[in-house]
Formats: sequence, structure tokens, C-alpha cells
Amino acid sequence: MNMDRSLEFSIRQELKRMFDSGCSFADARFYDEDSTERLVLYDGNLEANYRRRERGIGVRVLKQGAVGFAATADLDAISACFDRALANAQAAAQLLGFPKDMGRAEPVKGTYQPPFRQDPFELPLPEKLSLLKSVDERLKDKTVEHRMVSTHFQRRRIFYFNSEGTEIERSCLNTFAGMVVMAKDKEGRTQRRSYELDSDGTGTRGFEWLADPKAFAEHAERIKRELGEIVVSETLPPKRRDVILLPGQGHLQVHETIGHPLELDRILGYELSFAGGSHVKPEMIGSLRYGSEKLNAKVMVVANSPGTFGYDDEGTPQHEYYLIKNGILVNVLCCRLDLAEANAKAGKVVVRESGASARAAGFYKTPIDRMTNVCVEWGDDGTLDDIIKATEDGVILDMPVSWSIGSNREHFHFGCEIAWEVRDGRVTKVYKNPTYQGHTLEFYNSLDKVGDRSTWRLFQVANCGKGEPNQIMEVGHGVPVMRFKNVLTGEGR
Amino acid sequence: MLEERIRTILLEARDYARKKGLNTEFSFHRERSSLIRLGNSAIALSTSEELTRLDVSVLSGRRVGDFTLTADINSLEQLKTALHQAEENCRNGLEKDYDPIFGMVEETIDDTTGYDPALETISSQSKAELCARVIKAVKPKGNYDFSGSWSSGSTEMFYITTANDNEAYRKMTDGKLVLVLKERMRKWELAVERSQKRADEFSADDIALEFETLLPIYEKNPGYKTATGTQRVLFGPQAIAELVSLCIWGGFLGRPYEEGRAFTSKNKPGDRLFSELVSIFDDPANPLVFGMPFDFSGKRRRLFKLVEKGVFAGVCYDSQTAAKYKRERTGHDLLNWNLVFLCGSGPGELEAALRLADNALYIPHLHYTHLPDPTKGLFTGSSRFNALLIRDGKFVAPIFSSRITDSISNVFNNIVAVSSAAVTQNQSSTYERRAPEAMAVPTWLLCDNVRISDVADSF
Repeated sequence: MNMDRSLEFSIRQELKRMFDSGCSFADARFYDEDSTERLVLYDGNLEANYRRRERGIGVRVLKQGAVGFAATADLDAISACFDRALANAQAAAQLLGFPKDMGRAEPVKGTYQPPFRQDPFELPLPEKLSLLKSVDERLKDKTVEHRMVSTHFQRRRIFYFNSEGTEIERSCLNTFAGMVVMAKDKEGRTQRRSYELDSDGTGTRGFEWLADPKAFAEHAERIKRELGEIVVSETLPPKRRDVILLPGQGHLQVHETIGHPLELDRILGYELSFAGGSHVKPEMIGSLRYGSEKLNAKVMVVANSPGTFGYDDEGTPQHEYYLIKNGILVNVLCCRLDLAEANAKAGKVVVRESGASARAAGFYKTPIDRMTNVCVEWGDDGTLDDIIKATEDGVILDMPVSWSIGSNREHFHFGCEIAWEVRDGRVTKVYKNPTYQGHTLEFYNSLDKVGDRSTWRLFQVANCGKGEPNQIMEVGHGVPVMRFKNVLTGEGR
Repeated sequence: MLEERIRTILLEARDYARKKGLNTEFSFHRERSSLIRLGNSAIALSTSEELTRLDVSVLSGRRVGDFTLTADINSLEQLKTALHQAEENCRNGLEKDYDPIFGMVEETIDDTTGYDPALETISSQSKAELCARVIKAVKPKGNYDFSGSWSSGSTEMFYITTANDNEAYRKMTDGKLVLVLKERMRKWELAVERSQKRADEFSADDIALEFETLLPIYEKNPGYKTATGTQRVLFGPQAIAELVSLCIWGGFLGRPYEEGRAFTSKNKPGDRLFSELVSIFDDPANPLVFGMPFDFSGKRRRLFKLVEKGVFAGVCYDSQTAAKYKRERTGHDLLNWNLVFLCGSGPGELEAALRLADNALYIPHLHYTHLPDPTKGLFTGSSRFNALLIRDGKFVAPIFSSRITDSISNVFNNIVAVSSAAVTQNQSSTYERRAPEAMAVPTWLLCDNVRISDVADSF
């Protein structure tokens, strides 16, 4: 391990001490660096010029089937931190239900580094601002009243140890960016059009991605033009019609109504008091028809995604697996800790191994079941044009404005930035204020067109909130263009 | 007062910044947090975190640079490093087209009135014991599982700037308990929430009784799928707090208001917005909230009226927006406000409210709300815990998850009555740093003509 030797020694000693004191498992995550940089240009003003740096250790112990966690930024107090975690586990053991069990895993020694060429943290600030300013200039237009360009970089160096002998050194580097233009429509209401840095899943994650004009800057002209079309358009009239989701909207649909309900901790009821539960029950895994035959949802290991990190926060190597295969629910997002409970509740083996989904948002957060790269595989229904040509009465929707989902993810309501009406195989006009709502299973069972590889894009979600204590996590979703039949769109009244 | 060792280092850092001629704001945040998380009627996780953060902001002319350090802060050298990073960001930043406002502590404040050492150190063991008593009292009565969480801890905030020698300090404790009872087969969920400022505020018997009061309605009646369309709705405390949050977010923040993105942008103070039964204030002196006496521009926070008897009273300006639009700061350079929805003259007891409502939906919780069209104040969200059908003034059945999609204006213009009793609704989050927030709201709010846009086939 490429870290402070005395600290490394202390952590190993403490893990041994925990094991010797009766813990069946213990692990520690030392964040040597967790840095964030945010830059926001709003109407040309640098309204956020911010860096953050965190350093500390998070410790988890499992004793008598109960989990205790503690964290500290005081690296001279590591032993006390382990003691607090142990005390927390002992307190939890007083009110024990299904004993927690990590199962057995062979020790892993590994390293991970994301693909990048230019580390944004090593670049001078003026160079980054110069890029944002150039994009801001491109967003200027007589029709644009307000504009925003933002970027957000993350860099982490994490050392993971557990009592099984697993030791992993990881680096993470994430680049997020977006641009927004706003203007008032003919009713005096503000409309917006935006772009978020996305990819086809390949490429690298450093500043070079953002600096590639094709990846980012060149979208400025498109969103300005589309905003111009939105502000002179009418509000989408309410009715049932086919809905074609572009990946800019489809990724959030998948995030909210496939990703979250398939997190095992939600399924088992551990998130009920905050984020919510799931309409899925353990015994449904392997048999529930989640969607039409066209639906194939998969956890992927995509090179260019914030959901790719090599090993999860229990040391499990990332790997690919289906969640939904030909419409049938076949697996869920899980870590080692809850496998035994899920299988016991299902009365059969429904989850065989960790999905490498244990993730913590920082050294002072405990790992919980999170999404990584929950993707929908591309299909064979052609390009976006092919799907449009096959549509009699529908709308194409892009980019979320609002999202509201039932507590068990059984129903949803989304608002989008823009709708393009499709009539008899042609795009006919633009509508503003589009919304759509539905019930999750009914909606995915109405999936009847899945676009090909050319339509598949990987979007980044930098702010997925969940957990108690609350955690914000970054994930990736690759999705193709998808068409759903007979969806309730628009608002009454 | 802040621990002298830390305070001395911070004051030395301020002196160092002054000597270097740097206009600097230092904001110190220390939390001692603990949480137990319950699932399947057991403790699934027990955590404790001791974290210290320092935010440093440097202003030079029209340039600003910020840096935050999360580490054990124990030396001046650490603070100098943070200061230099903020200064570097400032120096390399861009000039704004307006003059930023530099923070200045208006008056020295040392507020520890909300601090209870017993709550700061309440043990996971004692939390577990109370939860166990509730579970033991209720669980045998049905096919139930309990989930939930109990977060507690202390928060210290210390804010100084190079503008003067004043110091603003606040130390407080807070706690929030949510217990959720779920029926294993039919999947309905009941919740009891409690907010605390002191360690000894919770009673297992009271919590158990609250569950037991509602259980017969759930046990004896199947779920009811209400029709879409407009309905009379009796909102409960958490739902009222959500409506107030949406109202403030969509209508009363300075920047969206100035830029035409708020649903109030076409109005000006003095205009009637809502029913005269609506008064919303930001009031740090209200005893039900976690009153924050200063903001992070150093402004003394006082009563600020947003809506008074339905009339538009004020818009909130943080210092950045105030500087941009040449307005007065209103003490809102902070995330956690002290919002109060003033009580009305309706009966305080829920039973009396049910008689008044006669036939309605009782929706005490709104889950995952959002604003599809902020410029119209259009919001959406769905019912969650404890949602019930009211017929002839009585609870008669639990209702399936029902979505409301309506405008804030419509809901707040169709108020029939407001409870005369107020409660604390804890809105705290722990996403990054411990951020205690509570709202004072009436125990109920009765509204007509609320649009139900969708209903699920399950709870």
C-alpha cells in the first residue's frame, strides 16, 4: 500500500484487535484525500469558486450479528474510533433481529485507477475558467435571458482494509459538467434547456473530456436553438400517447424506477423511514415480470462512468450482471451484508453473490446498497429516426425538470424540458412544460421499441440521495432511446 | 463559548489574514453525531461521527474564493493552508459584474440555549432500549415489522471575519426519531415521528399509544383507492411543512424572484397571494424551531415575514443575490431556516378536525415532492404514511398511495380552516454536515379542491 507506514500498521493492528475481541468482521476505509472543486458561471459571474478537501477514516465492525460504525478525522485517535464502532455494534446487538453476516470471501489485493489524461486538480484555475468562459460566450444570444455553465470535479484516494486480509488501494476521478440557458415564454414564464456532460461509455474521465468541444462546448448552439423553439410553443395538451424517452430523460427514469427499487436494503425495509421501500419483495427475484421482453437492464462496468470504481467498499471486485433479463427480474443491487437475510426471507436462494454495490459517500459514511452503472442494453429497433417513423401519435421527451416517485417506487411523475410531437412518423412541433406519469410495472411492460447502439448514451447522476445518515452518491446510467405505449402525459386543470 | 484551544487558533488565523490584508470569513462547524437505524424490528446499524469542518472565504474587490477543510483542526498551520487555498482561488478567479458583500458579524453572539449535554451524549444503548419498549408493546399485536432511525447529536458553529472583532457562536443539540411499522402481508406503513431538543423528551408509552390508536383502522379495513380529480384534503404536519418548503423554494427566494423564475415574480410585496389564513414567517425566536440567531454573512437573524394573512410580505435575499440586485440582505445566508406557518382558529384536536372535514382524505405526509413548473408553483408529491379516508367525520380506511399535482396558489387559496395548535416538524438532514432544521406548523390544515392526479393500487 502506498500510504503512511505507521498508519497502515495501526489499521492492521486495530483490525486484528477487533477480530481478537470477538468481531466476526471488521473493515476500515482511510481516505487520504477526498477533494471536490466546483465552478459555476452564472450570467458570466463566477458564483461558485470552491474547493473542499477531506481526510479521515471510517471503521465498521460486525459483532454478534450487529454492525457498528464510527468515523473520525483525527488520525491520532484511530484506536478510539475502533472502540466507538465496537461499542456501537454492542449496543445494536441488544436489539437484534436477523443476525448480519458477511459470508465468506477470499482476501483480495488490488488497485484501481480510472482512465484519464489530465487531472483537473493539477490544472491551474485560469485554464479551467477559460474553458467555462468560452462556453458561456457561446451561450450568449439575444433570446437567452440567463445562462449557466458549471463543472464539478472529484478526486479521491482510498485505502481499504478488512479483517479477512483484503487490502485495496483506489483512486477515483470524476468530471461533471453542465450548461443551461433560460428565457421567458410568451406567457412570461421562464423556460430552460440544458445539457449535461455524457458519453457513449468509452473515453477518459479527466479534464480532456470536458475540453473536447464535441463532448461539451458544441452543444451550446443546439440548446440555444431548442430554447428558442420552446419559448414560442404551447403547453403539451394532456392525453394518453406514446412516449419516446431520449437518454437525457431515460437515464433518470431508469435511475428512479429500476435502480432504486432494486436496491436490496430498500427491498428489506431498511430505508423505510427515509428514502422509502420497494414494490419488489425478495421472493419475486427470479420471477417478477418487470417489463416487456424488450427490457434488459444490466449492471455494467463502463470505463467512463462515476459508477465504475474497481472494488466496492467491502472489497468486492466490480463485475457485470443482469438485473432484468427479457423483462424478468433476475437480480438486485446488493452488498455482502444482506445476502443471507434476503435468501432467508425469500425461502430460497434468490441472490447468490454481492453485486459490488456497497458504497459510502465519504470516510464518515457507512457503506450501503447503491447503484453503480445501472444500464439498459441497446436493442434492435434501429435509430431514433427509425423509432419516430414507426410512431403514429407520440412525444419525444428530454431532460428532467422535476421528478417525484412513490415511496415504494410503484408510481412516478416526471416533468421535462422539451417535447417534440410525433404524428404519423414525423416530428411535427415542439411543446413546452411536458409531464408524464405512470405505474412502474405497467410502464415498463409497455416498452415496445428499444433503440440501437447509436442511440445509447451514458449519463452521470452526481447527486443521488439516500441513507441515514444521508449520503450523496455519483452513479452512471447508460440507456438507449426507448418507446413506451399509451402513457398519461400533460396536466389537467 | 467555543472550546478555547480552537477559538484561539481561529482568532490567530483571523489576525494572520488581517496582516496579509485579506478580507476573510472563517466559518467553523463541529458535529458529534450518532444514529441508530432500525430494520426488521432490530437495530441494523449504529453509527457515530465526530467531524470538524472549516469554511474559508476570501474576497478581493470583485473576486471571491472559497475553501473547505474537513480534518481534525488543531494547528494554525492547517488554517493558514486553508486560507492560502481560498486566497489562491480568489486571486485566480473572475471578477463579478457587481460588488460582492463581505461578511461582518453585526454583534457578538454566544448562544448555547439549545444545548443539552445529555442529548449530545445520549447512548445508542439507551436509544435501543426505548425502541425495544415500543416494539415490545406493539409488535405482538400483529404481523408487523419496525423500521426507522434515531439521529441525535450536537452542532457547533462559530463565525468570524476580518471586518471586526465580533464573534458569532452557537452550540445546540437536536434529535429526530422516526419509527415505521409495516404490515408484512398487506404492506401498509404507519409512522410516528418525534423531534427533540433535550434528551428526556421521548416516551415509549406515548409512541406505542400513537401506533395503537391508528392500528384498528388499518387492521379492520382494506385499502381504499380514491378517485382522481379534486378532493377535500386534511393535511397533517409533515405534509404542511412540505407545502411550506415548496412555497418558499418556488416563490420567495431572491434570485428566482428577481429573474422571473418564481411563481411570485409577477407580484410585489403587498399583493394578495393566498387565503388570509396563510401567514408564513421565518422566526428564529419561535420556541418550536431550532432558532438560528445569525447567518453566515454575520447578520443578526430576526423575525422576517414572507406572507402575512395571505398578503405577500417579503422576499429573502442572501448576500450574493442582495449584492447582484442591489437589495438589502435579509439574514438568509444559511440553508436551515426557522419557518413558521402560523396557526389559525380551528380546534387543536385531530378528532375535532375530522368532524370539521366531514368527508375528505387525511394526508399527513407528502413524499418526494417537486416543482414541475416553478413559475406556476405547480408541485407534485404522493401520500405516504398514515394516509386515511375520512367519512362522516371519522377515519374509516387507509388509502392507497395517492399523488397530488396542483399549484401552491390553489392549495393555499382553498383553505377551509387551520388548527390552533402548533407542532414541531423536524426537517433536519445529514447529507454533508449536521444541519438541524425544524419548522413550526399547525397540527392540521383543511383544504378544498385539491387535485389528485394519480392513485396506485397499493400503499
